Amino acid sequence: MKFSTVVYLELYKIFRKPRTYIAFGAIAAIVGLIQLGFYADGKNYMQFGMQSFTDSFDINGNIMNGYLMAYIILQLMLVHVPLLISLVAGDMISGEAAQGTLRVLLTKPISRAMLISGKFAASFIYTIALLIWMAIWALGISMLVFGVDDMLILKSDLVTQIVKTDILWRYAAAFGFAALAMTTVAAMSFFLSLFAENSLGPIMATMSIIIVFTILNTLDLPIFENVKPFLFTSHMLGWKGFFDVQINENNEQIVGSIENLPAVMVSAGILLLHILGFLLASVLVFRKKDVLS
Amino acid sequence: MILEVAHLKKNFGSFVAVDDLSFSVKAGEVYGFLGQNGAGKSTTIRMLLSLITPTSGSIQLFGKSINQYREEILNQVGAVVEKPDLYKYLSGYENLHLFAKMSGKLISKAEIINTLALVGLEKRCHDPVRVYSQGMKQRLGIAVALVHDPEFIILDEPTNGLDPQGIADIRNLILMLSKERRKTVLVSSHLLSEIEQIADSMLIINKGRKIVEGKVNELLNPNNVRLEIVVDDHLLAKKIIESTLWSKGLKHAPDGKIIVETEAAAVGQLNKLLVDNKLNVSSLRSMNSLEAYFLSLTSDNEV
Repeated sequence: MKFSTVVYLELYKIFRKPRTYIAFGAIAAIVGLIQLGFYADGKNYMQFGMQSFTDSFDINGNIMNGYLMAYIILQLMLVHVPLLISLVAGDMISGEAAQGTLRVLLTKPISRAMLISGKFAASFIYTIALLIWMAIWALGISMLVFGVDDMLILKSDLVTQIVKTDILWRYAAAFGFAALAMTTVAAMSFFLSLFAENSLGPIMATMSIIIVFTILNTLDLPIFENVKPFLFTSHMLGWKGFFDVQINENNEQIVGSIENLPAVMVSAGILLLHILGFLLASVLVFRKKDVLS
Repeated sequence: MILEVAHLKKNFGSFVAVDDLSFSVKAGEVYGFLGQNGAGKSTTIRMLLSLITPTSGSIQLFGKSINQYREEILNQVGAVVEKPDLYKYLSGYENLHLFAKMSGKLISKAEIINTLALVGLEKRCHDPVRVYSQGMKQRLGIAVALVHDPEFIILDEPTNGLDPQGIADIRNLILMLSKERRKTVLVSSHLLSEIEQIADSMLIINKGRKIVEGKVNELLNPNNVRLEIVVDDHLLAKKIIESTLWSKGLKHAPDGKIIVETEAAAVGQLNKLLVDNKLNVSSLRSMNSLEAYFLSLTSDNEV
């Protein structure tokens, strides 16, 4: 059997399940609510946020534009999207085991390695579809509703201005990186689903691991410092690196620049290693797994 | 031989589910696989389909090891293992279409509809499986096993949860597959009378071990019957029977009934003997032969 047939059949099952659309609905609802809130009361919010800068700088133009909205939405959302990813990825094997269809599938002449790879590929495509959906809402709709202009990113001690002609490629790269981060979550959830016979377990386990790792990241204790570089959660927000720009001697943005590209690439590499590790482990475990469901 | 199993064993921790099981299935026959619940039938079937790995022993299907030629072998095998679990959010047709594609063969829409017609589901095939009755799910499960036209069909308890008409339909379907389509069928059940009606050969297992294997008509000699006799004075009846040649076939039943194994032709003589001795025989019936046979082989208690 062709690998593409397995992927097609897995996608067919994913997109015929009502729970698949919970994630798409949730993203549309949350992004829509954020946009509505900023559309109604965003100017006051921005004035409050820019208070400390307006004394020193004269800021003109459409500050609260679609690009900034997308940045705010991504910051808020990419922490919560793993839950939506694990709703499907965590169900890929455990859901079949719970229904009893896993044993029916495995009575068919398809190798276990191909089946699990096909299922993972389908989870990956679902993840990408979810991020594209998010991009449409967070960036596309925001650009339509709020317009476009240069983007100001506020940090604790500085403001970065990125010219509007230098932004779209950064979002493309950021969503690409986010795809890598979310695929890591999908791969972990997928791996955990091998050990459960209902999808709640892998979903809960995925979220628990992310929460614990995130807490470890935020604790500035020496004991955890050596571990942090290896936690995938330390690298999940690496997409922000595409919005850190280099400046010239006149304190102006260098168009097309990234402040610390090697750090972004290292983060991407670590996430990729996690994905490959989880996928390989899934194949190895599944090939030897006794199907008792 | 279609299937040859040798010294098959499966342990789950310290629990031995299947123990040194050997048997074989010839091409074209209906092979009955009997055992009480928990006897190890489903575990054995799962090993035949490589769903679980044997602790030791070998399984050869079509002359090849299932471990080495899994995909090649499964291409020629259709199976329903335990209950027929399917995608409830898909229709019967969609389920069959999906599993047909999984078989790796090019199966046309007409062939899918024909398979649904074979199990009597063509009129309800576009309904979602979640609204199907247990019998319809069972039939759809069999359709999933048959859709890629396999040579060897494994049906694990196919009549579970069915009403009498449903049981008869499945029985007729198995017979049709065997007689008309020349398929080899292994059917497991604890409904012993069902196996007796359809199987050419049979294997009885208990606690994971083989009790007996052979041709049904050889194992169940129709010339012998097992009688259950109810009389007004069972102690006197036993005493009378013990003084005759029937004493060898006399079994003790705990509830006052008398069980006697005898030649079918001698049933009238036995009845006459009891009546002549002034005993009031209120019931004298032949017990289901296979059930009696099964119980006599597997029961820990004397009948």
